Amino acid sequence: MKLFTTKTKMIWCSVFMLLSCATVSAQTRQKIVKDTVLIITDSIKPNGEKNYRAGWGILIPEYAKVQYAGGMAFMSIGGGWDYGKKKQWETDVFLGFVPHYSTDKNKITFTLKQNYIPWKLDVNSRFMVEPLTCGMYLNTIWGRDFWVSEPDKYPNGYYAFSSKIRVNAFVGQRVTYNFNKGRDYFKSVTFFYEASTNDLYLISAFTNSYLKPEDYIVLSLGLKLQIF
Amino acid sequence: MMKKLLFIALPFIFAGCDMFDSHPYDGQVTGQKSVNAANIARIEQACAGKTSIKFATMGDSQRWYDETEMFVTALNKRNDIDFVIHGGDLSDFGLTEEFMWQRDIMNKLTVPYVALIGNHDCLANGQDVFRTVFGQENFSFMAGNVKFVCLNTNALEFDYSHPVPDFQFIQDKFEEETPGHEKTVFAMHVRPFSNQFNNNVANVFQDVVKRFPKLQFCLNAHDHHLQADDLFTDGVMYYGSASMDKKSYLVFTITPDDQYTYEVVYY
Repeated sequence: MKLFTTKTKMIWCSVFMLLSCATVSAQTRQKIVKDTVLIITDSIKPNGEKNYRAGWGILIPEYAKVQYAGGMAFMSIGGGWDYGKKKQWETDVFLGFVPHYSTDKNKITFTLKQNYIPWKLDVNSRFMVEPLTCGMYLNTIWGRDFWVSEPDKYPNGYYAFSSKIRVNAFVGQRVTYNFNKGRDYFKSVTFFYEASTNDLYLISAFTNSYLKPEDYIVLSLGLKLQIF
Repeated sequence: MMKKLLFIALPFIFAGCDMFDSHPYDGQVTGQKSVNAANIARIEQACAGKTSIKFATMGDSQRWYDETEMFVTALNKRNDIDFVIHGGDLSDFGLTEEFMWQRDIMNKLTVPYVALIGNHDCLANGQDVFRTVFGQENFSFMAGNVKFVCLNTNALEFDYSHPVPDFQFIQDKFEEETPGHEKTVFAMHVRPFSNQFNNNVANVFQDVVKRFPKLQFCLNAHDHHLQADDLFTDGVMYYGSASMDKKSYLVFTITPDDQYTYEVVYY
């Protein structure tokens, strides 16, 4: 039998391909096994508890927040992450709902919020007060009527602002109640209130003495549930 | 500490119950609604049977709250004006609050006023808010023997989704038999040949407008400066009021002898 006829060539070729495929898949399998082992060791805490926040788990929000009003929506629900040496930074994302009121459509909003909380004062083992929270939030509203920059039908610079994106700044205060360690599902619950304003309200207020703080300042209330 | 904190926080929370805004574009209207309808009833009642009327026009008060308040103060000092026409652009960004801020200033006028819809009032969901606070964007009323036809002419804002100007509305007003209707005045935010107007129908618009009994003149705002132009060189004058930062308004007097006069008043 000739070793290198066209037919046998093809057979050899396919045998070779099959073999190499097998080697490759064997290698991948090995890799997966290694990775899995790594994750398993990483997601068990030294005390034997399961660590949800290992690896990609770091992306799981550390707390949930609900915020009422504040120019972001009627009610916003979201979560976020705290970080920094004293956990003085918090970044939140919210999905909000705005009922239609006098307009013809209900609206959905999205908010990206950055908080700075410089001081934490322990009142007793249960209560903690944060006398100042401050920060900014970007808010976008869904709908055809809202645009980032004016549509092409307008002459250039006809409306030099965005109706879709609002920049807000806020100051506020918080009170936190700590639950029993390890016994309760949530670590703590925080009540907060904020006073805020947005870019368009500020522009209006700057150029008019008629507008008073109660016109361009917006209030909001909120709750934060610490999970991790 | 807790007591102290509550002490600071509570007045804040309870004093500002209507300060809990959902969103700048939420469309949540508080206070008076359908302002135009209520004021039209006042105008029609006060001017009933009159053959001589005197009214003021102004407009483009967007984000000029101080100046608009000064206008109201200036107009309240005189007692010869029957009513005021706001030529539109009450809001600058179409924010819900803007309509209410402007309404509250204009409501301080001792004489009734009507507000037209401007192109800025159509931004975002502004036209819904305008409709709620002031009323329909096309409307008409009688002042003595003069019929005022007020139109939405902000065509660029509507992308052919609405007829702007609404010829069906104009036709209905033409066919409508109103007792005592002898003369006609048209009022609009944007005048023909503006880049906001549907200029494809500018000449048709003019032909239709001219069919009305004893058309006196047309009124507009939008261009932020005073205007007095025979736009179609057919003898029909278009008078434009300046924006509020110019601190002026127009006063028109329509007299029984088929004459009218107008003056510019600075405050």
